[in-house]
Amino acid sequence: MRSLPLMAIAALLAFSPTAQAAEEGKRITVKGEAIDTWCYFSGVMGGPDAVVGSAHHTCALWCSAGGIPVGLLAEDGQVYMVLKIENDDQSNGGDTQMSIASHVITADGMHYQRDGINYIVVSEVVADDDIQVLNHEDYGPVPSMAIREPKK
Amino acid sequence: MKTACAIACLIAAPLVAQDFSANSEARSWNLYAEVPARFEATVVDPLCLLTGDCPDNCGDGKRQLALVRSADDAMILPLKNSQPAFSGAANELQPFCGELVEVDGLMIEDPDLNATNIYLVQKIRKSGDADWIKANRWTKDWAAAHPEAKGKGPWFRRDPRVKAEIAREGHLGLGLETDEAFIKEWFE
Repeated sequence: MRSLPLMAIAALLAFSPTAQAAEEGKRITVKGEAIDTWCYFSGVMGGPDAVVGSAHHTCALWCSAGGIPVGLLAEDGQVYMVLKIENDDQSNGGDTQMSIASHVITADGMHYQRDGINYIVVSEVVADDDIQVLNHEDYGPVPSMAIREPKK
Repeated sequence: MKTACAIACLIAAPLVAQDFSANSEARSWNLYAEVPARFEATVVDPLCLLTGDCPDNCGDGKRQLALVRSADDAMILPLKNSQPAFSGAANELQPFCGELVEVDGLMIEDPDLNATNIYLVQKIRKSGDADWIKANRWTKDWAAAHPEAKGKGPWFRRDPRVKAEIAREGHLGLGLETDEAFIKEWFE
């Protein structure tokens, strides 16, 4: 093989990872908790079980208001970064995303995956089951300064 | 044969893990899975890139922004700016929408949590610029947007939306009665 025809080279490159466009979206329905993705992935406040649910709710509010991406932590452990909910594309600190902090929701939408990260564009919140993970008795407030000791 | 090898290399290049820690001056946050990373990238609107929904100026600050790294075309999602204040990175990237920049910070790579290509940005500069800009504008942006919440203490204790939500549902999000009982027991 002294040289490859130009068309063959073009065809090979077209299927290489760099040349591929973003993956096609796929419609999914996913049930999961709306989490603060930084605390979950970084471990900055402890293990993954401590940075979800009621123990972490105040921090989830802070982080959502602070513009940290909200993710849906699905039952299989996958996290879907929420880019849009219904008609609201304010993923940087928006009211809609903040209103579901720590809630377990069922979302119908389009799933995209790029470079190991899952993204979801939610077309409909099918169900909002409020906070389901009741872990405040186990962990206390996470971080502890989330609830200040009342003045006596 | 040489041509075939060159093609194979071109195809394989992005699959080979690259080290972006060289020349990084990122400060450690002592995180389990942190890796210093300095690289050149284009600031993009991921919702636009993935779906074709592309408002002007990357959504003018409403949306999360991402970094498409020049070296391997990987889309990196910055979750955090450099402030220890529950603040994200989109405000830091917004002034550079569509531009080629250099960033320095910490990548989080934790296979146990499926964490990859997520990032804490500590400083940023337009590609070719000499001076870095610290990724710490978020609290200034918040203060400018909330003059009514001026006062002592960190922003998250004064934020009107957070205060309203806690006043409505409590710190645990389970209602005020549950909150009151828990706080009483916890601090006894």
